[in-house]
Amino acid sequence: MKNLLAGAAIALIGLTTSAFADGHANYPERPIMMMVSYGAGGATDFQARIVTMTAGNEDALGMPIAILNKPGAGGRVGWNWLAGQAEADGYTLGAYNVPHFIAQSIKGGVEYSADSFEPIANWGADPAVLVVGADSEFNTLQDVVDFARANPGKLTTSGAGLFVGHHIAALQMEKAGDMKMAYIPTKGGGAAAMKAVIAGEVMAGINNLSDAFRAREAGNVKILAVADLERNDFLPDVPTMMESGLDVDNASVNFRGVMVPKGTPQGIIDKLAATVPTMFENKRVAGKMKAGGSPMHIMTRDEVLAMWAKREETLKVLLAGL
Amino acid sequence: MEFIFYFGDVFTPVNFGLLLLGTIGGLILGATPGLSPTMAVALLIPFTFQLEAAQGLILLGAAYTSTVAGGAVSAILLKIPGAPANIATTLDGHTMAQKGEGAKALQLSFLSSAVGGIFGVLLLIFLTPVLAKWALAFGPSHLFWLAILGVTVIGSLDSRSVVKGLLSGCIGLWLATIGFDDIMGAQRFIFHPALGGGINIIAALIGLFAIPQVITMFAKGRHNDGAEVIQVRKHPIGAALSELMRNKRAMGIGTITGSIIGLIPGVGGQIAGLVAYDQSRKFSPERAKFGTGHPEGLVAAESANNAMVGPSLVPLLTLSIPGSPTAAVLLGGLLIHGIFPGTDLFDNHPDVAWTFINSMLIGQVLMCLFGLYVAGVAARVAQVPQSVMAAVVLGLAVFGSYSVQSSMGDVYVMAALGVMMYFLERFGFSAAPLVLGLILGPIAEANFIQGSMIANATDGMTPYFLGGSLNLFLIAVVIASIAYSAYMELRSRRFTSKEEIMA
Amino acid sequence: MSDISLPRMQHIIGSGVVAVVGIWVAVVSYTQQPSEAFLFPRLIATVFVVLALWTFAKACLGWTKVGNGLSVRQFRNLAPGLIVALIYVFWAAKGLGFYSATAIAFFILLSLYDPAPHTAFRSWLKRVIITACFMAVMYGLFASLLKVYTPREIFF
Repeated sequence: MKNLLAGAAIALIGLTTSAFADGHANYPERPIMMMVSYGAGGATDFQARIVTMTAGNEDALGMPIAILNKPGAGGRVGWNWLAGQAEADGYTLGAYNVPHFIAQSIKGGVEYSADSFEPIANWGADPAVLVVGADSEFNTLQDVVDFARANPGKLTTSGAGLFVGHHIAALQMEKAGDMKMAYIPTKGGGAAAMKAVIAGEVMAGINNLSDAFRAREAGNVKILAVADLERNDFLPDVPTMMESGLDVDNASVNFRGVMVPKGTPQGIIDKLAATVPTMFENKRVAGKMKAGGSPMHIMTRDEVLAMWAKREETLKVLLAGL
Repeated sequence: MEFIFYFGDVFTPVNFGLLLLGTIGGLILGATPGLSPTMAVALLIPFTFQLEAAQGLILLGAAYTSTVAGGAVSAILLKIPGAPANIATTLDGHTMAQKGEGAKALQLSFLSSAVGGIFGVLLLIFLTPVLAKWALAFGPSHLFWLAILGVTVIGSLDSRSVVKGLLSGCIGLWLATIGFDDIMGAQRFIFHPALGGGINIIAALIGLFAIPQVITMFAKGRHNDGAEVIQVRKHPIGAALSELMRNKRAMGIGTITGSIIGLIPGVGGQIAGLVAYDQSRKFSPERAKFGTGHPEGLVAAESANNAMVGPSLVPLLTLSIPGSPTAAVLLGGLLIHGIFPGTDLFDNHPDVAWTFINSMLIGQVLMCLFGLYVAGVAARVAQVPQSVMAAVVLGLAVFGSYSVQSSMGDVYVMAALGVMMYFLERFGFSAAPLVLGLILGPIAEANFIQGSMIANATDGMTPYFLGGSLNLFLIAVVIASIAYSAYMELRSRRFTSKEEIMA
Repeated sequence: MSDISLPRMQHIIGSGVVAVVGIWVAVVSYTQQPSEAFLFPRLIATVFVVLALWTFAKACLGWTKVGNGLSVRQFRNLAPGLIVALIYVFWAAKGLGFYSATAIAFFILLSLYDPAPHTAFRSWLKRVIITACFMAVMYGLFASLLKVYTPREIFF
């Protein structure tokens, strides 16, 4: 009996090693899991589900991608898990949010940095926007800046958490406008931060463009400015912060994409890097993303590597004084 | 009255088929340990990619409704609450099943779920604009007081010793702080890598309720078994209906508490059942029977947790703010078809909106019928020999807690908490207050910190937390709740000491 | 005498352990940084320690009213099952693969606690069949229906 078991075990090990030896030509042989470090129903989760929905097609990976949510502490829980506990076998992918995870790793207290992961491709870019309630007395970014300058530390501004894109935007605004705001991180992500604005618990909020666009369609908020280099297609009437005289660039834009933990075989990384961007370009994916109000921005692995490096540099400077 | 025009759409063959599929599938998913309604709905999202907007929502809505009710099945038969909503159901429901009244318990739970559920959906249909204002009225300070109100329930919940009840609650509150602090991102009490993500509430529930159960069965030993074959009594549905009529007060309290609490974004579903259970006990002349297999407690808990389904969608449908994780997933189901909740939904896609809401109404009835049909058969689970039952529950607990986040850490946490709970129960601690602490801790903490940040930037702490009529009202309820518990404790103490003297 | 002091001793140990945990929590939360993040744990820990010490004192004085402790017989009964369960959860499930570990643990537990005689062939056959049925249901539910990818280490 014992010999039989041992024999079976050796046979199995033999099987797996031979699969590794053939250069991953057969990858993927089973469904793939993608970790999203935010809760089910959040903007990242929603978009991740859409962009991976065609993964099972023959022209894509040929195997479906299942979403696994590991929410908590602004994404730290999920990324810690991906960096430390996930198996780097190519069957565990992760969704990244830049600048969130880079800012958190600079700030410390987590077990990952930009070097813990290998990017695969980027699917979306969601700029941060400044929103106020529909009946707020603020009508332009200038009104907000004037108030904040006159009342330092009194402008309550909600956002999804500390050291996420919203917080970065708030820090940049403070720096550019030489003012002090009261940034209020909420538990429960962008939705809770938006609720605080609509309910009038806070005077202003920084939120995702996609969520703010929807809230404006419902008549609940006014969007005063976009923290990006150019105006957004979804909101052609809303000026950028730079146009309104506040020198805030696109460092807070929430880039979302796919990455794998370091140590994943190079053959698999190459295969994913070649297939995944074309998978994102699928017409059905683009249609659903547009319908949901989610801006797409497809980037290849090399472009993402460059973007990560650039962000890390900017954020190190911005967060140095904190 | 617009909704009546769209009833026809629910009964087209495809839509009705999906409704049936969602309801039956939801019951099965809900009865599976480890699958909360949120996860069940998220699992179905990929299917809605292929469907039209209204059809996809019918599927999701039906699944939402029936997973909440389905959670009662495992809570009653196996003492594994599928979601926080079903904790209160285990207290009396499982005791009933152990007495052989499983069929009655299941029937009552499905009937009261349907009553509560239909009331909740009707509220959603008729009072949405009013309710939406209500949902927004709860800011951080109010949610903080609401959580404190929950904490005051801890001492008296399912524990014969107030001190030990409070101590159990403290352990729960502490367990909730393990992991990353949600706002600051600081690491707290992570003494094992499995705790990196904090304690997952579903895994904790499975461990705290199911594992002590398994060990208790072990403790009975091998030969004790044949001695107590449980007679599963058949229970006619008519009798269940008249039993339900006898418990009008519990049903009323459950339905109303569930509807009000369900409305509040971010709190609702998790504590509706427990609060309703506690309230109906306080108002019941037979309060001593609670926890010993008393139908009243079951009816209150189940009507409350289904009544919350309808109102919990109000903030989503009117303001486009998902008030609960499940609502957030439903939001995804709308967005994927390019429909934005809010005015867009009701003005430009009334067919989608009302077909969805109507299907939840019909779904409640279908869920109830189907549940009543299987109740008699399912109750036979109580006849499964103890040895088999212990092994089955252990296996389900392991698979269930793993499948929450595909994480081995959750399984370790589940087992460790479970073994700990078994020994604590031997010393008079109980699981329900511990779990309540686990749920309320993060709500109280996050809202206190957020509230104090806002308060410091504006008027200061005292006016922010103690001002305003809603704050004052909630504080008054907190004080009343404490005073009532203290009064009852003193009265029962005098009573027991007299009894002791007599003995 | 012995049947009175056993539960009392157990109560002292049990509440003692809880008190030690409470003190540890308090020490950690009052010493760790950043202090803002530990504001709430401090509050909880303070109440925790007070209540735990109170319970401990009551147990020492023999005033504990609720909780029956654990009899020697109960402990003897539960020990083998608990050991199997712990090995299953903390090692076998990951080490052997979920399905094989569950099947083995299930079968062992059944053999330990099923009152059917261990000498009869029929009772062993029954146990094998029950185990097979349970595994089929678990596989159908979690692997086929829910598509949960469980660890598959040495075996399935």
